Amino acid sequence: MDTLLPQRFTELSIHSLKDENTPLFQLNQQQIQQTTNPQQQTHNIKLAPHPIPLKPAREPTAIAAVDTSNIKIGETAKGILIAVRAANVWKQNKHYQYARFGPFIFHVTEENKKQVYNMLQNAYFDQPYYDRHADYSNMAFMPMRIAALLERWLQTMVAKTLNNGLILFDGSLTSGSGDTPTRLIKDILDNARKRNNITLAFSKMTTLRINGHLITDTLPSYKAPYLLEVTNPKPKPPMLLLGDIYVAKLANENYAFRLDIDKEISLEKKVGAVERLLGNDPAEQGYPETLRLAHILCTFTANEVIAMQHFATRRYGLKIVNRPDMHRLLFGPFGRGESFQ
Amino acid sequence: MKLYKKEGNIIQILSFPHETAEKGDYLLIEDADAAKALIAQVIDVQFASIPGVLEELLRSLPDGGELVQGEDFDPLEIAPHIAYIQDASLLICKIRASVENETLSPSSSWLPSRSQSTIKKLSVPTLLKLAGVNGKLPIVLGSTKDASLLTVDASYLDGRLNIITGKKETGKSHLSKLLMSNMVGYKATVVVFDLNGEYVSLGMTADGKRNANYDKIHVLTPSQNFKVALKQLNLHVLLGILIHALHLPGTSAREFRRIWQSLKERGCLTLHELGEAISSWHCNQHVRDALLSRFHALMNSGFFTDNTGEALALEESLFKAKEHGGAVILNLRNTSSIDRQIVVEYMLGKLVELLTSWKLKAVFLFAEEAHLYLRETYWDDIVTRMRHFGIFTTFITNQPDTIRENIYRQADNIFLFSFTNEHDLDVVSRAARVDAETVRSIARDLPPHHCLVLGKVVKDFPMVAKVRALDIKTMGETRLFFKDTDKYLS
Repeated sequence: MDTLLPQRFTELSIHSLKDENTPLFQLNQQQIQQTTNPQQQTHNIKLAPHPIPLKPAREPTAIAAVDTSNIKIGETAKGILIAVRAANVWKQNKHYQYARFGPFIFHVTEENKKQVYNMLQNAYFDQPYYDRHADYSNMAFMPMRIAALLERWLQTMVAKTLNNGLILFDGSLTSGSGDTPTRLIKDILDNARKRNNITLAFSKMTTLRINGHLITDTLPSYKAPYLLEVTNPKPKPPMLLLGDIYVAKLANENYAFRLDIDKEISLEKKVGAVERLLGNDPAEQGYPETLRLAHILCTFTANEVIAMQHFATRRYGLKIVNRPDMHRLLFGPFGRGESFQ
Repeated sequence: MKLYKKEGNIIQILSFPHETAEKGDYLLIEDADAAKALIAQVIDVQFASIPGVLEELLRSLPDGGELVQGEDFDPLEIAPHIAYIQDASLLICKIRASVENETLSPSSSWLPSRSQSTIKKLSVPTLLKLAGVNGKLPIVLGSTKDASLLTVDASYLDGRLNIITGKKETGKSHLSKLLMSNMVGYKATVVVFDLNGEYVSLGMTADGKRNANYDKIHVLTPSQNFKVALKQLNLHVLLGILIHALHLPGTSAREFRRIWQSLKERGCLTLHELGEAISSWHCNQHVRDALLSRFHALMNSGFFTDNTGEALALEESLFKAKEHGGAVILNLRNTSSIDRQIVVEYMLGKLVELLTSWKLKAVFLFAEEAHLYLRETYWDDIVTRMRHFGIFTTFITNQPDTIRENIYRQADNIFLFSFTNEHDLDVVSRAARVDAETVRSIARDLPPHHCLVLGKVVKDFPMVAKVRALDIKTMGETRLFFKDTDKYLS
């Protein structure tokens, strides 16, 4: 696999925008959103009776985090205009640095959606990780799917370049969905391990529940920081858990997160990794600063959305037409529920 | 530029980075369908309220507050577009007039189309032409920001009340000299109350040579080449001096009137006779003492003489100025506060007398820091009564609160230099010919030697100009202790 950002991504982006018959460009009804990895509901899970207390380990350790975001910036007569961006933040010698990729803007239509996705896969990965017969019927998922593709590529890059560090992902280490091919996730984890890295995945939101309560909500009153192991998780096939699941309460604030740690690592190393994370990266609200920065840096602001719309109209001559917002039209002031304006 | 909002006569325009509009600039908002246009002046430039800008600024800072260093791979080059949006500015503009069929009207009652209107900068020469500011007696004040000349018509200073104000060392006196030189050039009669002896070299070039106005500048220094003989004085002028400058009580003034009339009937109006008459006059001892003390004050001023030959300078100068144009500079530099009031009281009385008898047509009076010598009641006189006699005053001050509010309200033209003090700006903004927002916003940011011209002289289109240089000998410089700094370094 090429370790440089493939030119193909850019070319495809431009190619998709140059589609000549796309005069309409609708601006309202935007949604600023981030990819949220689907988490497979598991049954009969339990929380370990005793937490694993953590002590911050000051041993200098490089920390790298990866995150992506996507947004629909408008609609055309034929499809949607989307933007994706990825960010990699690393902390070394007490200094943060970042590399940001994008925004890449794609004009996805019913005609080109499969082609765009497959071409991107081919450009990024030299192995057929993805299911070429995957269902592309719902165009609404295309922004997330393209962003996930970019995210996997960046995760692979980080896993292949970092040594003796901690790699932080946003989401879980569950594989088997269309965007999380098991072989690809396994390869990423293998590559990380080969370089003596440990992969930790933090989920901002989880769907795992015990007795109807989210696992991050029903915590015993132990003093943070600690890990609480989630036992007996059994996902439905073809989903696979490539990490062991914990509830991580890293700060005294009332926030806890689902944390997946590479399954192939020993418990001692897993605990050691979280302790090194605590010793090297602030986690004021129980969430690592490096990952928080990656999230912040890739997320699109309203200002950037306007700029991308400006780019699309100026560079590619898309005429801006405001299509009426049906929610507003029908429900007046009560029609704001689905809009983020 | 795009029309964004209109509230009252304030219009907000969205401007993008390549469109450079600054405070003071004029914009033409044309609505082709309506065949009308609005002329608006930028009075403030603000950041446009772009959604997400705060997030944009905040996200580069981690918890520690240290800036995150990084690299952006932006192959589509979206970043310039982000910067373009972020740097958009909002121009707060004041509607000055509307144009229909090339005719200006002050109305702003119609609303131009937000989507169809075109907005462009209006150059100063075009605006001046539209407004008809250029006249037959041009005075070039200086250059505007777009390098064109700001020329006003001298006739718009005629019969007007003008104020030149601004903080210290911004160029007020320089502008008054410029106006004065030009007025003299157009054969006007100018009188200057020169508090600091700044105007005495108006007839000299910077290198000390005589300039074109040399013969038209008449410098009168009280008690030196400017004296008054009692015989020349009208009783009411002298009573004015005694009552207003020397605070003589009413009872004593009545006695003085009797003494004066007695001496006049006998043909003995001399200083010596006046002193003798007061000393021997049959009246209350307190009255006599009061009269004697005022008499000695008059004597000590050195301004009064019995020699009529010494007392011809003022009328001679004024008549010369009437013939060929000229400026009578009343040099008050080394004159004490009381004497200054005596001289000014006499001068104003004399001017009214000459104007009333039509010996003079009209006089342009330039008064620097007038609060230091002008008695309270004269302020109203100057702006109301004396205007009808033909005294057209220009006040020059760096303390705007020393000029009464009613003077500002009646001022026809205001030449405003930089002020930073809110209180000063408040005072000036009470002028009737200007709105407070314009004064506050533009005057605060004026660089030295730049002047905001307001009023009839610019047809109520406030203009900013850099006052042009004058080739005259500078006299108003501050005397400095540390002028030669090397001398004080050991």
